[in-house]
Amino acid sequence: MEARLEQALLLKRVVEAIKDLVQDCNFDCNDTGIALQAMDNSHVALVSMLLKAEAFSPYRCDRNIPIGINLTSLTKVLRCAQNDDILTLKAEDSPDTINLTFESSESDRLSEYDIKLMDIDQDHLGIPETEYAATITMPSAEFQRICRDLIALSESVSIEATKEGVKFSCAGDIGNGSVTLRSHTNVEKPELNVEIDLAEPVALTFSLKYLVNFCKASALSGSVKLCLSNEVPLLVEYGLSGSSWLRFYLAPKIGDEE
Amino acid sequence: MPPKQATLGYVRPAQTRLGKFFGKRDPPVQQKLALSPRKRHAQLNASGEIGEGKDGVIDDEGKQRSDVASDTSPSKKRPHSPAPAPKRTADKGSGSIKAEESGEDGLHDESDEGPIAKRPKRTPTASSDIDDAASEGSEDVKPAMRRPNGTTPLSKNKPAKVKAKALERKPKLKVKEESEEESDAVPNKEGKGSSPATNDSPAESESEMIDEEPDSEDEGIKPEAAEKARETVQTLLESKSKDPYPDWKPGEPVPYAALCTTFALIESTTKRLIILSHCSLFLRQVLRLTPEDLLPTVLLMINKLAADYAGVELGIGESLIMKAIGESTGRSLAVIKADQNEIGDLGLVAAKSRSNQPTMFKPKALTVRGVRDGLMAIATTQGNGAQTRKIAGIKKLLSAADAHSAGKGKGVDITKDKGGASESKFIVRTLEGKMRLGLADRTVLVALAQAMVVHEISKEGKVPTTEQLERGETILKTVYSELPSYEVIVPAMLEHGIFNLEEHCKLQPGVPLKPMLAKPTKAITEVLDRFENKNFTCEYKYDGERSQIHFVSPDSQHQYLSSVPSVKSEKGISAIFSRNSEDLSKKYPDILAKLDHWVKDGTKSFVLDCETVGWDLVEKKVLPFQQLMTRKRKDVKVEDVKVKVCVFAFDLLFLNGEPTVKKSLRERREMMKQTFEEVEGEFGFAKCMNTSDLDEIQTFLDESVKASCEGLMVKMLDGEESGYEPSKRSRNWLKVKKDYLSGLGDSLDLVVLGAYYGKGKRTSLYGAFLLSAYNPTTETYETICNLGTGFTDPVLQHLHALLSPSAIPSPPSYYSHSPVPAHQPDVWFPPKHVWEVKAADLTLSPRYRAAEGYLDGVEGKGVSLRFPRFLREREDKKPEDATRVRDVAEMYRRQEGVSKGKDGGGGGGGGVDDDFEY
Repeated sequence: MEARLEQALLLKRVVEAIKDLVQDCNFDCNDTGIALQAMDNSHVALVSMLLKAEAFSPYRCDRNIPIGINLTSLTKVLRCAQNDDILTLKAEDSPDTINLTFESSESDRLSEYDIKLMDIDQDHLGIPETEYAATITMPSAEFQRICRDLIALSESVSIEATKEGVKFSCAGDIGNGSVTLRSHTNVEKPELNVEIDLAEPVALTFSLKYLVNFCKASALSGSVKLCLSNEVPLLVEYGLSGSSWLRFYLAPKIGDEE
Repeated sequence: MPPKQATLGYVRPAQTRLGKFFGKRDPPVQQKLALSPRKRHAQLNASGEIGEGKDGVIDDEGKQRSDVASDTSPSKKRPHSPAPAPKRTADKGSGSIKAEESGEDGLHDESDEGPIAKRPKRTPTASSDIDDAASEGSEDVKPAMRRPNGTTPLSKNKPAKVKAKALERKPKLKVKEESEEESDAVPNKEGKGSSPATNDSPAESESEMIDEEPDSEDEGIKPEAAEKARETVQTLLESKSKDPYPDWKPGEPVPYAALCTTFALIESTTKRLIILSHCSLFLRQVLRLTPEDLLPTVLLMINKLAADYAGVELGIGESLIMKAIGESTGRSLAVIKADQNEIGDLGLVAAKSRSNQPTMFKPKALTVRGVRDGLMAIATTQGNGAQTRKIAGIKKLLSAADAHSAGKGKGVDITKDKGGASESKFIVRTLEGKMRLGLADRTVLVALAQAMVVHEISKEGKVPTTEQLERGETILKTVYSELPSYEVIVPAMLEHGIFNLEEHCKLQPGVPLKPMLAKPTKAITEVLDRFENKNFTCEYKYDGERSQIHFVSPDSQHQYLSSVPSVKSEKGISAIFSRNSEDLSKKYPDILAKLDHWVKDGTKSFVLDCETVGWDLVEKKVLPFQQLMTRKRKDVKVEDVKVKVCVFAFDLLFLNGEPTVKKSLRERREMMKQTFEEVEGEFGFAKCMNTSDLDEIQTFLDESVKASCEGLMVKMLDGEESGYEPSKRSRNWLKVKKDYLSGLGDSLDLVVLGAYYGKGKRTSLYGAFLLSAYNPTTETYETICNLGTGFTDPVLQHLHALLSPSAIPSPPSYYSHSPVPAHQPDVWFPPKHVWEVKAADLTLSPRYRAAEGYLDGVEGKGVSLRFPRFLREREDKKPEDATRVRDVAEMYRRQEGVSKGKDGGGGGGGGVDDDFEY
């Protein structure tokens, strides 16, 4: 397997975004790209990532290779890369280590690291395609801000999508708060658009702790897509270059604290 | 769960469970039956499920099911969300969906037993079981591993058996309730559900053939047991001669759920014999299917990660566990704390807490091995961020626990069967170190012996005889008492067989054994009665810490496998262990450093039983226990030692490669005197006297008390009975304590100032009280001790009822008490009630304030009671009539050890004399 990434930044940010949720995981490489799927310890959240072959130049992978890696170790090595270094990943067919090369785009500096791999026996879980009752696209910074603001008040947020708009509300010991967004089109800056695509009204409650964690991916994409349906996990999707993506799923909370 | 354990095989079921992914909300189905508010959820859930079923095993009605089956099987699921809508309304609720679904499954003959069988036993989990079982029933990949369901022939019996059990164990009412519930859930099955009890007889008898023999032997084991007890066991065994948990695939890791099922059975009874039979039955099943998991199973049963001396500790407290429960279930810490105060058992809190926060895909089911590895990982986590990583480890276990039932909004119904076989309950209890099962280590040992014997004998196709069982028990008991390490014994036993165990496992230096204990006596005459016409000897009973010194010289040929890393070095073994087999080498490096002073040259190895006592170098005499306790517990440096210690040896258990425990005490003493020499202030032999004259003994006792000893030990000197019996409280050793003889003459009348909330058995009552003596000069009440013993349950209830109305939020200004937050009682009371309390001893403690101003040369410490015991309420006394602090000070001064000591006996705050028996 060999994959060359023009900017190390992409991988750095992806790993940065998920490393607090997941400690060890498999990067599954095949001819279509590199995929990752892992759940947090409590099995409440799931991270799913797909870096399609097009995101790399070039990308070569002849057979399916699982690369089991400790994300803390990977972070350590990735810290050694400059953001615009050219990053090359190399692994053998049944690898013990993965090789990372960083080429500086400006100077002739070339650094090379090997990380020992782990044998992670992970279930591959089929995630069902779901038609969501509500799909909300909004600037990722906005979503991050909402989560950060509300976590100051409460542990959980209820997201309610109606035809009027989408309302994030929470209630805590010190009081309650809510943020409502309406559909909004900004012609000059399309990345600031808020789109709400609603099939039927939904209201669900989620743990804010996880959402704040997801928001670490905000740097990856200017906009984020939230998909909700009653009684299914929330999908938070950050689009990456090309049609690659980083998705988080979060199981809703049931009922209120008694 | 450690990566190792999973096999590819898991993958498929996990995927199937996808159904549960969204179907995790099927639990509300059950709520639906019970709790109307959740109705909406329940319905929605049912709809959620439909979409995902992978192999056509959807939890839904047949027609839905078949059409999904036809188009979903191998590939990813298809989008499905709209479909359920009509159905949702059509069915009145998911309860009925469920019902039909399982009815549907019933058509695949065997799989139907699963759900029904489980119903009575694990009601709380049943609804999700149903669909699990259903999926496996038709999928058939790894049925046994994951869930009890009906794919193996054995499990056929379950309905019959469980039913029977339900009848036995549960109050009638509950049974009824349950069957109602059952019929609710499985209407068209109801008839079948109960009939298998009689109808399945072919299968049943088949399994009985397997299990019957052993069971019939079980009764034989206790020839001495009362006839009635035997009958009970007999009927019990007959009615449930099959394993409570269906077989998993041979060779595969033992499912943790299986162990929990057994735990739940054990918890549901208090009868020792029944507990024993449950244990032994389960161990037999483990032996039959996965012998390599025997060790972890046994260790989890006795709730130890490793032998005591290995010093493996989980290092987690209640708050850490609460945090982990909170994080993995999405409940806030405050709510969990409130629950804990109300329920008093974190295990139940955890069971109840499952779960407002559903998980994504179902984690793999826990295995016994996995749980142990997980616990071990938690225990060995050290260094930076250890706490966070420990919590992560606990969360991992908890989220995988009760995989079959997780996600139902309500969690396990903890009011029923004490939570039943909930995995999270038992995991948390394991973490807490309190199983609350009533399962004694000894019982596990016996059960293990039985299981081994039955297993071995029946392998040859024979039926074990009562004698064989007895012999097995004796062997294992003996071996275990000499070598209390399952890590060594279990593998040896599996390899060589239980009957050859004695040749392979012997007492060895490096593995501490439980010391022999003495029976208390009330008077010297009692001693004479016991040893009439026998040779016996009296020894001083030094007031120190019981220790065992293990030594192997570096040049010794023999290799001993010590599992204590700290003990092993190139210099051979030298270590000190406490009476609880903890490694004290770090506490007493000064003793180990001086070993060569008093061990004669040429000694290869020994194990010495002795008492470590504080030694006053100037006065050349023994210091009181309280002063010994002021030594640091860990990392003591030889040069910093302030309280010097002297070792008084009184028994030799092992010498130069040979155990000596079977020899007579006279011989052992002789060998001991030849091997060691006395060095003043470092090593001595316990002072002894061989006499049978009452007066001489009395004089000797008085001398011993004057020499700051606790009293006398009286031991059999010759003959077989004088052998060393590890871990036994033997009548061949008797102790005559000064406490027993004189005690602390008077009782004290003390005033109740506050109380602590009870835990466990005392939940919702007060568990302990804060007492005080009265100071008339300053008109204050000065705290003197916490009191938690001497109460009967009715008395505790009475006191709670009496005191709780008068609770006040903060202490009045005229209470003199420790300001340290940890020392504050949970509630305060006005001074009103006076209780009579008896204690063994008086000591000084920084925690209490009594008589503070009356002691010379003591700052910041008050007098406290050792082993206070509640005698009765003194309604006739007013608080002002309580014992005065001046009297307390006087009593303290009068005390033998104190009046003789120059400095008034130091301050042994909280020194615990673990030798004391109530």
